[in-house]
Amino acid sequence: MRIKTLAITALAVLGLAVPASAGAQTLIGSGSVAAQPVLQALFKVYEKNNKGIHFTYTADGGNAGIKDVQTGTSQFAGQARTPLPSDAGTTYIKLYLDGLCMDVNPKNKLTNVSVQSLHDIYRGILTNWNQVPGSGLETTIDPVGRDTNGGTYTFFLQAVLNNELPASNVNALTADGLVVNAVKQDPNAIGYAGLAWQKKGIKPVKVNGIACEAKNISVEPLKYPLSRYIFLVLPSTNPSPAVQKFVDWARTSPEAGEVINKAGGVAAFNKKPKKK
Amino acid sequence: MEEEFQSEYGPKWSDQRVERMLGALVLGVVALLLALILVVFVHGWPSFSHNGLAWFGPGGSVEEELSLISQSAETGSGYIYTFHAWPLIWSTILIAGGSVVLGLITALFISVFLVEFAPTWMSNILQPVVRFLASVPSVIYGLLGVLVLVPFIGNHLISESQKASVAGVISLTGYSLMAAIIVLTIMIAPLMVSIFTDALNSVKPGWLEGSLALGVNRWRTIWKIGVRAARPAIVAGTVLALARAIGESVMLAMLSGSTAFAPNPIDGLIFIFEPSRPLAPTIVKSADQLSSPPAKATLFAIATFLLFSAATFSLIGWATRRSMNKYLAR
Repeated sequence: MRIKTLAITALAVLGLAVPASAGAQTLIGSGSVAAQPVLQALFKVYEKNNKGIHFTYTADGGNAGIKDVQTGTSQFAGQARTPLPSDAGTTYIKLYLDGLCMDVNPKNKLTNVSVQSLHDIYRGILTNWNQVPGSGLETTIDPVGRDTNGGTYTFFLQAVLNNELPASNVNALTADGLVVNAVKQDPNAIGYAGLAWQKKGIKPVKVNGIACEAKNISVEPLKYPLSRYIFLVLPSTNPSPAVQKFVDWARTSPEAGEVINKAGGVAAFNKKPKKK
Repeated sequence: MEEEFQSEYGPKWSDQRVERMLGALVLGVVALLLALILVVFVHGWPSFSHNGLAWFGPGGSVEEELSLISQSAETGSGYIYTFHAWPLIWSTILIAGGSVVLGLITALFISVFLVEFAPTWMSNILQPVVRFLASVPSVIYGLLGVLVLVPFIGNHLISESQKASVAGVISLTGYSLMAAIIVLTIMIAPLMVSIFTDALNSVKPGWLEGSLALGVNRWRTIWKIGVRAARPAIVAGTVLALARAIGESVMLAMLSGSTAFAPNPIDGLIFIFEPSRPLAPTIVKSADQLSSPPAKATLFAIATFLLFSAATFSLIGWATRRSMNKYLAR
């Protein structure tokens, strides 16, 4: 009697551990938080088009995602920075374009900022808004950014800080959403976030005179100083055919292009939808 | 039927079976725990052995040290291990210590009120609520802190002159000792309250009644006899809360600020607005660097330190309880 109960319990626990729908195919991904909003939108449409395919995506940061692909934990990873030597064994595929916008609180009158000023702000050289022309503020600057787990952190480090570490007065938060939230709530803050995060309550400023808008980012050569490709990273050997099929669809189909643009990214390679 | 009867009430061997299965389970758990401690320690050892006692000391910027450590794996010119954890340790002491002291005081008064003074209907409602509060996941407290407490402190309590006085070194934006201590206190106080109320409830009624019969008022009775008799449980609850406070990572990673800065009480009141970063959130925020062997050793060294301090505190708690047990006429 007790043994039977135990056996049943053990079976039930095992049953929970095995994915519920064994017949369907689950594609496992992880990586960039910046790519998450767009990737989730793409997954949703792709799942609707292809019954039986299911995605899980853990936004654990771009660098962690690469590691997941290297160890085989994930079948693909979202990534916001260009390949590094430590990414051995992975293949980068350009998926779409993203612009890293510089955001300030709407109470800040700043409209344009140079990459040099950004560098100085995040290196702790400029500490008061009166040192930055056009802000109309006389208060201390509160720079916010990501912690080292973020793909945007690495991109910002390369694009703005020349690989120097941000100063100790830069508040490094654990998620892109928290950066946006901090800028929303603090009139003296400045922060960086992807195009997908540009919503009410924060104000994107021009960088070197060029606005952080889709049209400046999508046309090569990339005009906007802080624009970048978002990559999908697959293992170099034996990538999953189902994932490759998804990548082809996401890169080329007009439908996916619309999804990318709607979710805040900039479609780079997708064919234009036919006019009706 | 017959078979069932036998397996329920049958001869000895069903007893033996239970004994052996439970014994094996306990042994397995203990072995797992030992293996865990061993693995963490072995992984962290290179960091300790390269730094010696200086590991615990001050000096240099933790951020720069961590970045040098993690990059040294890629340069090929040998691993760098130099690491001085003092700002992180100091921040852990300030935040965990501050919230345990605050929590102990509030929890003690709350539980005395709940047990002795609150009307029955009120304590019937409050006790389950307290138990529920003790089990709320910390990330929820973290979110509330980020959305409510941090902007309040940043926009209303910190003045522009205070911000300007430390500009370029740290930002006073509300991510502060104060936010961390307040939220951590809210997190651990319910845990203490639920342990304290259980203890106060189980004080022998005869002792309290005897005191009341002698004409001692209710407050003095519960304070001098109830609380005194419950001291071993109060120590146990405090140690448990301290262990949780030291190990708390997600909430503190969200609220304490990200700079490994050591707030100095000599600077005056401003120090409670200063950001810092305790040990556990450092592991969370640097988890990404685990792929670099020297950085991995450093993070595991931090984990070792956390494990050992938690173990030390529970040993101290056990010793204190033992010496107090003589007050318990059981």
